Amino acid sequence: MPGREVVIVVGAGLMGQGLAEAIASKGNEVILVDKTTKLAHRGIKGIAESIDREIGRWGLTESDKKAILARIHPSADLSEAEDAEVVFEAIPEDLTLKRELLQELDDICPEDTILVTNTSTLSVSEVASFTKRPRKVIGMHFLNPVSRIPLVEIIKGLRTDEETFQRAVEFAESLDKKWITVNEYPGYVTTRIIVPFLNEAMHVLMEGVASAEDIDEAMKLGFGFNVGPLALADQMGLDVVMTWMDNLLRELSEHKYNPCPLLRKLVRAGHLGVKTGRGFFRYDEEGNRIESAAPVVGGAIK
Amino acid sequence: MKILVINCGSSSVKYQFVDTKSELALAKGNVSRIGMTASVITHKPHDKPEITVSAEILDHIAAIEYVVSLLLSKNHGVIQDKKEIDAVGHRVVHGGEEFQDSALITQELMTTLRHLIELAPLHNPHNIRGIKACEQTLPGIPQVAVFDTAFHSNMPPHAYIYGIPYVFYKRYGIRRYGFHGTSHKYVSERASKMLNKPLAEMKVITCHLGSGNSAAAIDHGKSIDTSMGFTPLEGLLMGTRSGDLDPAIIMHIMAREELTLNEGNTLLNKHSGLAGISGVSSDMAEIIEQSREGHEGASLALNVYCYRLKKYIGAYAAAMGGLDVLVFTAGVGENAPVVRKLTTDGLEFLGVKIDSKKNNTAIRKETDISASDAKVHTLVVPTNEELVIARDTERIVAGK
Repeated sequence: MPGREVVIVVGAGLMGQGLAEAIASKGNEVILVDKTTKLAHRGIKGIAESIDREIGRWGLTESDKKAILARIHPSADLSEAEDAEVVFEAIPEDLTLKRELLQELDDICPEDTILVTNTSTLSVSEVASFTKRPRKVIGMHFLNPVSRIPLVEIIKGLRTDEETFQRAVEFAESLDKKWITVNEYPGYVTTRIIVPFLNEAMHVLMEGVASAEDIDEAMKLGFGFNVGPLALADQMGLDVVMTWMDNLLRELSEHKYNPCPLLRKLVRAGHLGVKTGRGFFRYDEEGNRIESAAPVVGGAIK
Repeated sequence: MKILVINCGSSSVKYQFVDTKSELALAKGNVSRIGMTASVITHKPHDKPEITVSAEILDHIAAIEYVVSLLLSKNHGVIQDKKEIDAVGHRVVHGGEEFQDSALITQELMTTLRHLIELAPLHNPHNIRGIKACEQTLPGIPQVAVFDTAFHSNMPPHAYIYGIPYVFYKRYGIRRYGFHGTSHKYVSERASKMLNKPLAEMKVITCHLGSGNSAAAIDHGKSIDTSMGFTPLEGLLMGTRSGDLDPAIIMHIMAREELTLNEGNTLLNKHSGLAGISGVSSDMAEIIEQSREGHEGASLALNVYCYRLKKYIGAYAAAMGGLDVLVFTAGVGENAPVVRKLTTDGLEFLGVKIDSKKNNTAIRKETDISASDAKVHTLVVPTNEELVIARDTERIVAGK
């Protein structure tokens, strides 16, 4: 995977965009594939916006932007993957969708092409079982925003072979990411630990122990988190957090993975966090927290 | 000897094919946009017009292969056989404390170079890539590494030690190394030739002003101090680099804007300098133009640039206990009379005084621009790093 060959990223959503940007910023050509050209182009637009934000944070320059965007090519044609050495999929976390895609890729790609699935909770072994090449399927869980978070979890399915694992390691290193090895288990390491943590913060809020702002302040200053748990949940998307909880609950059947009723309530009301302008806190259209406004949910549930 | 001189960047390879006997570049050119969809190659044989071609060049190996094929080509080439390349000389940015002179490339040297990546993560990896590519493309042809840092490697400890706990020097090699050594060395030698006076009898300050800038104090032919430090970020104001600043500023800004290490690094290296102050451009020609038209930011950037340089000249004159020769070189130094004027204004007390007519006409050619009654010779000397690399390569290969 090192060198400068073309990498295919399937799925032009937030994760696919982040991946394509990270790969292209290291000098590789990327083909960003989605179901329609329109969706793929929307992905490119998203990448351009993300780069603009990074320029605003002094991390990149206008000429970096040009160079990165010049290396990312939108496409609606999955057969672009026919001579790819590695294909990343970053489509929504839905087993049925993943099955369809993996089977299609299995038919298109040469038999030694490595298929990387970007999932935070699904079983890599199960995803691999959809193909005739389970040894060549591996999970790499990048965290959003990909360009700013220096970690990737490399998840070995039960049948992933050592060569595939080594290639994933090389790839992670070529993107300047630190990696950890995860033996497949629901939630891996990061999701498994962070989600109940967020959920517990919601319980503390719901039970009126402290205000949303004070809970976040306490965890930031007390334990050195960059972001408080409630603001983090808002950033991740409350619906996403709830889906993770539900997945963990289903897989592991433990009470501790029950989504907090307050989380369910907010999701049902359509208050999904930063992306809807309202979650545990309020946000303006650009996603900046409105500092002066009172939190949406205070000590008691309002 | 005929030497292929290679300067590898992240996505470019600059080359010159130099005949050390005539000191003439038989051909020179540049492969840019390596690894991108369409690489651009310019190639100029010394006796024929320049050509520009576009090709798919996926990596440095392919780039070097392409360069060799151009040198061999029927229409644009200058040699008939690869064997006519006697040696390859590579510009290598960082030689650490290990290399005080250019050196023949061996397995052992490559291992040392890899250890030095920690000191020059932006440059040494590409230089290493270029060396490996030449090993593959031109097997059996001796290769020499010529280091940007080597000329400064005999600076005294009081010039290279920073005012932080000494343990960091021991632990991480944190000290001033200096860069552009090849250029400082070359122009000081040319100055000695022009004035017909041995370097061993002169106190020289050389100002390399390109997109990166550095000044060096050269006492009796030895660099005793230079403005770039642990990295090429320190010292003079540059196109997009800040140069000197209060180190507390960066921690303050990073805390206020919640920046990551990478963002802080890019802020100082790519968003600062002329570009950062003026908001207009990192290019001095553009800054001068805008300043003439009354752009305040451009004028301020120009003044900061020249004032900082003037301070360094004063400091280095003090460090050497005098000054005989002041040299301007590289893109800005060779082409911008206004920079030379603003920098030397008010330095009469040091004996520096330039003749405005000579200054205004000295563009890209060796010229003594001093006023007739000046005690210090102020010179414009076009740099030629490739020639130094070729000469060094010949010397090392001949002596091996």
